[in-house]
Amino acid sequence: MTDMNDGAPKGAEASANPETDAKIDVWDAPTRFFHWSLVFQVFVALLTGFIFPEWWMETHIWAGHLIVLFIGFRVVWGFAGSEYSRFDTFIFPVATLIEHVKSVLAKKPKHYVGHNPAGGLMIFGLLIVLFLLTTTGLMILGGEENQGALAAFVNYQAGSAGKVLHSLLSWLLILMILGHVGGVILEGLLTGENLIYSMITGQKDRHPGDVVPRQRPPHVLWGAFATGALVIGAAALVNFLSSFPPSGHVKMDVSDTWKSECADCHMGYHPSHLPAESWRKLMTTLDDHFGEDASLDSATVQELTDYLVKYSAETWDTEAANRFREVDPAEPRRISATPYWVRKHADIKEADFKKSSVKGKANCIACHQDAESGRFDDQKIRIPRE
Amino acid sequence: MKKFATLTFALLLGLTVTGTAHANPARDAIIAKLQAQASQPFSAERGKAFYLKDWSGERDAAASDPETPSCTACHSTNPRNETKHAKTGKVKPPIAVSATPDRFTDPDNVEKWFRRNCNGVLGRECTAQEKGDFLTFMIGQ
Repeated sequence: MTDMNDGAPKGAEASANPETDAKIDVWDAPTRFFHWSLVFQVFVALLTGFIFPEWWMETHIWAGHLIVLFIGFRVVWGFAGSEYSRFDTFIFPVATLIEHVKSVLAKKPKHYVGHNPAGGLMIFGLLIVLFLLTTTGLMILGGEENQGALAAFVNYQAGSAGKVLHSLLSWLLILMILGHVGGVILEGLLTGENLIYSMITGQKDRHPGDVVPRQRPPHVLWGAFATGALVIGAAALVNFLSSFPPSGHVKMDVSDTWKSECADCHMGYHPSHLPAESWRKLMTTLDDHFGEDASLDSATVQELTDYLVKYSAETWDTEAANRFREVDPAEPRRISATPYWVRKHADIKEADFKKSSVKGKANCIACHQDAESGRFDDQKIRIPRE
Repeated sequence: MKKFATLTFALLLGLTVTGTAHANPARDAIIAKLQAQASQPFSAERGKAFYLKDWSGERDAAASDPETPSCTACHSTNPRNETKHAKTGKVKPPIAVSATPDRFTDPDNVEKWFRRNCNGVLGRECTAQEKGDFLTFMIGQ
């Protein structure tokens, strides 16, 4: 493709005249927009990942998907952008990097118009770590939550492994953000340059001895085309991959007997929410069913036991099934006594369980709107007001 | 002529539906079976007293449920009320036949709930007389 913008307007070149201007145009508008958008997205992702409760998961997922798109744009712009947005302006030989670090330690850093060698390295590091965070995030989403593009392709175990990586990477990201901001502050202290302001206006002060090359203008058209193709391609790919049925879900015809007998007095507990041994125990103790007489004739007991055991937690690979397989040995029939349940609800106030629309820990569906389907999506959690 | 026939048919259908709202062959069979085991004809009055009675004074405490001393503990004093399960909060349709027309039409289901609830409330099985009185009351409600 020909370079559409080589014949840039004269005015633009005049404003960036390296010989006369006291200000140098460094960060073009798309790069600045990218930077502050990414700051916001990462802020939202960290907040919803570390601090906010589970039901903010949808926001977290949106932040992740946006981050991937913006990283995609930045990679395109690393080749198509204006001079200092291009990757080749901030890849330095190792020797130059060492020299730069030494000059910083001597408190006399050499001034770079674009990224300095350490800052440039950080940009690549941040882009890579953020990309890995989004891929591991997608793994968790697919493996543990059975949602998203990878729901059909990642099993629970792989999702859990992704979670460990995602967590480690998020701490690494926090360290890198501290390093990135620390570098900005340090450079400001040593050179008097306000880099944050530069990332807003796009301009930097000219320093004596600055080497300003003839600035290559951005390839706006093909940059926009490549970014557009990337966004559409990614959306189509995610859409296509999401259309496959999630792995770990068993094809199950919901039993009418189960509906009429097991979901009459209480919500219907999905067969995948207890292991087979617990269901057997529960079905042989129906005359004292959590303090109630729920006795049934033996034919119905047999039919229901067969159904519950056939689709018990061992046969599913959902998050709930994986978690509820481990029961409390003292109370193997009680889902709300499983170690995972107890841990997950440690922060829920007793008063929430006592609300009139909740009526206790057994009524999952009061807060988990999709409980009867066996899914327990984070996005489907709503704690009722009363 | 065709119109007249349709009207007549609709009228007859309407009458049939209204007629079966309270008299139902399956329900009649359940009552008849109980009546064969009971000494007195069933009485809605006795059924009402049974429904409203607080059993906590005379029942076996160990065999019954302290939270349900009477039928009304769960079904409320008005059988036409929609109620919630005391422990789970699950909404239950009214027990009265006028409000829930298919009540007491499945003999197994009727026996199942008498077995469970008589134990919970009375601390013992109900007699055929008590069951019949209770059903007669509910059919009239």
